[in-house]
Amino acid sequence: MNSLLKVNNKYFTTVIAVISTIIFLFPVYWMVTTSIKPMSGILSTTPQIIPREIQFQAYVKNFIQDTEILRFFLNSVIIATGSMILTLLFASPFSYALARLELKGRGWMIGFLLVVQMLPNIMLALPFFILFSKLHLLNNFISLIIANATLSMPFAILVLRPFFMSIPKGLEEAAVIDGCNRFTAFWKIVLPLAKPGLLTVGSFCFLHAWGDLLFALILTTDKSVRPLTVHLYTFVGQYGTDWNSLMAVATVCVIPIIIIFIAFQKHIVGGLASGSVK
Amino acid sequence: MNVETDISLHQRNVTMESRKKEKRRKSLGNYLFILPGGVFLLLFLVFPIGYNLKITFEDLTALNILKEQSFVGLENYVTVMKDKIFLLSLKNSVIFTGLCIFFQFTTGFAFALFFNKKFPGRNVMRALILIAWMIPMVITGTLFKWMFAGDHGIINHLLLWLGVLDQPIHWLINDHTSLYSTIIANIWIGIPFNMIILLAGLQSLPEETYEAAKVDGAGKVRQFFFITLPLMKPTILTLLVLGIIYTFKVFDIILIMTGGGPVNSSTVLPFYSYEMAFTNYNFSLGATINTIMLGLLVLVALVYLWLVRKEENV
Repeated sequence: MNSLLKVNNKYFTTVIAVISTIIFLFPVYWMVTTSIKPMSGILSTTPQIIPREIQFQAYVKNFIQDTEILRFFLNSVIIATGSMILTLLFASPFSYALARLELKGRGWMIGFLLVVQMLPNIMLALPFFILFSKLHLLNNFISLIIANATLSMPFAILVLRPFFMSIPKGLEEAAVIDGCNRFTAFWKIVLPLAKPGLLTVGSFCFLHAWGDLLFALILTTDKSVRPLTVHLYTFVGQYGTDWNSLMAVATVCVIPIIIIFIAFQKHIVGGLASGSVK
Repeated sequence: MNVETDISLHQRNVTMESRKKEKRRKSLGNYLFILPGGVFLLLFLVFPIGYNLKITFEDLTALNILKEQSFVGLENYVTVMKDKIFLLSLKNSVIFTGLCIFFQFTTGFAFALFFNKKFPGRNVMRALILIAWMIPMVITGTLFKWMFAGDHGIINHLLLWLGVLDQPIHWLINDHTSLYSTIIANIWIGIPFNMIILLAGLQSLPEETYEAAKVDGAGKVRQFFFITLPLMKPTILTLLVLGIIYTFKVFDIILIMTGGGPVNSSTVLPFYSYEMAFTNYNFSLGATINTIMLGLLVLVALVYLWLVRKEENV
C-alpha cells in the first residue's frame, strides 16, 4: 500500500513536470506551429492552439523559391565553425599551461580572464569596426571569425582548465621519459584525454558564434558574408508582420542548435554547471 | 689529489650550470604554450579595450575618422552625464537587470528544487527546458515580438480571454509596456540557466544533513531555510553576480523587439551605446558609454573575484 502510494506519487510528480515543461516551452511550440499555419489560421479571431490546417507554404517560399537564404545559412556555418576552431586552437595550449606548467603571474592571468569574459560585446564591436575598416576587412569572414573567437576565448580557457587539471600527471611524464618533447606530449597524449572538455567548449563556441548578431551587424554591409541572424533581423524590418515566413526562418535557424544540443547534451549541461560557477 | 678534486669540482659546476640552463629553457618553453593565445588576446582584446578608452578623450565621428584627432579631455564624459537619454537608459538598465534577475532566479530556483526530485523523464525534461537558453537571442526576440503583437498576438488573446484586458494592448509600441515586454522575454531565456546552475548546486549537497534534520523533526520549509539556503550560499552569490553581468549587456532582444523605443522608453545602456556609435556615428560618445559600462561591470566583477577567492580559501 505504502509503496503503491510512493509509485503514484512519483508519477504525479512526472505529470506536474510534464505540464510545467509544456507551459514553459510553449513559445517554441508557437514558433513552429505559426510557421506551418496558413495566414488565415494565424490571423483568425480565436487563436488556433492546435493548427486546423497544416501547410508548408512559408518554407517553400523562403527556402525553395528563394534560395538566397541557403547562402546565409552556409555563411553562418562558416563563421561558427571557423571561430570554434580558432578558439580551440589558441585556448587549449593556453589553458593547459595555466593548469599544469610553472608560469609567473598565473593568478593575474586567471583574474584577467575572469574579468574580460564578462565584457559586453558592444565594448569590442565599436573598436573592431574602426580597426577592421582600417584593415579593409569589413565584409570578410576573417573579421567575423576573429571577433567571435575573441569573445569566447577567455571563457574557453577558463572552462578547459579543470579538464586539464584532472588528467593524471604521470602520463605526460611517462611520455617525456619515452622521448616525447612536451609539445608532442601535449598534442598526442593530453589533448585526446581532454576530449570531453574540448567537446563542451567547442559546442559553446559554435553556439555563441551561431547566435551572434551584433558583430555581424556591424562588420558586414552586404550580403556576401551575412549570417542567418542578420538576415532574420533585416527580415523583421522588411516583412514586419509576415509572421508565417518569419517563424519559418526562425525555426530553420534553431534546427542546428537542437541537433548540436541533442548530440552533446551531456557535455553542455555538465560544462555549464562546472564552468560558469568555478 | 688536488688536481683530481679540482676536476671533479669543475665537472660538478658544469653539470649544475647545464641543469640551470635546462630549467630555464624548460620554463621558457612553458611560455610558448601561452604565446599564440596571448598574442591573439593582446591584439584583439587588450588593444581594442585600450583603443576604446583612448577615443573617449577625442572627438571621433564617422566624418573626421581620417583626420588627426585632438585631445578633448573629459568633455565626452561631461556630455554623457548631462544627457537625459543616457540617464534614462541607465535607469532602464537597472530596472531591466533587477527585475530579470529577481524573476529568473526565483523561478529558476523553484524549477531546480522540483527537478531535484527523482522521477521518470527528469533528465529529458531538464534538457528540453535548457533549449530556451540555447536559442539565439535574435530568434527569441522575434518570437516574443510575435507573441506580444498588438494584433493577433497570443498574449493579448490570452489576457482578453481571461478577462484581464477588455481591449488589446500594443505592448511594444506603448511606452509604458515596451520595457517590461522585453524583460519578460529575457526572463524566459534566463530561467533555464539559473535552474541548471542551482540544480548542480543542490545535487552536490550532502544527503546526511537532511537525514539528520528529518530525524530532529525539521519540516521541509525549515530544511529549506536552515540547510539548503545556507549551504547554497556560494553558488547563489556567484550565480547572482554572473546573472547581473550577463543581463546588463543584453542587446539583441531590445534591438529586435522594440528598437529601444518608443521614444527611448526601452533603451538600455548597451543599446544606447550602439545607437550613439552606429546610428549617430559618434564613435567617441559611444565609446564613452562603453567605458562607463565597463566601470560598472568591473565593480561587479571585483565582487565576483572576491567571492571566488573566498570560496577557494574555504
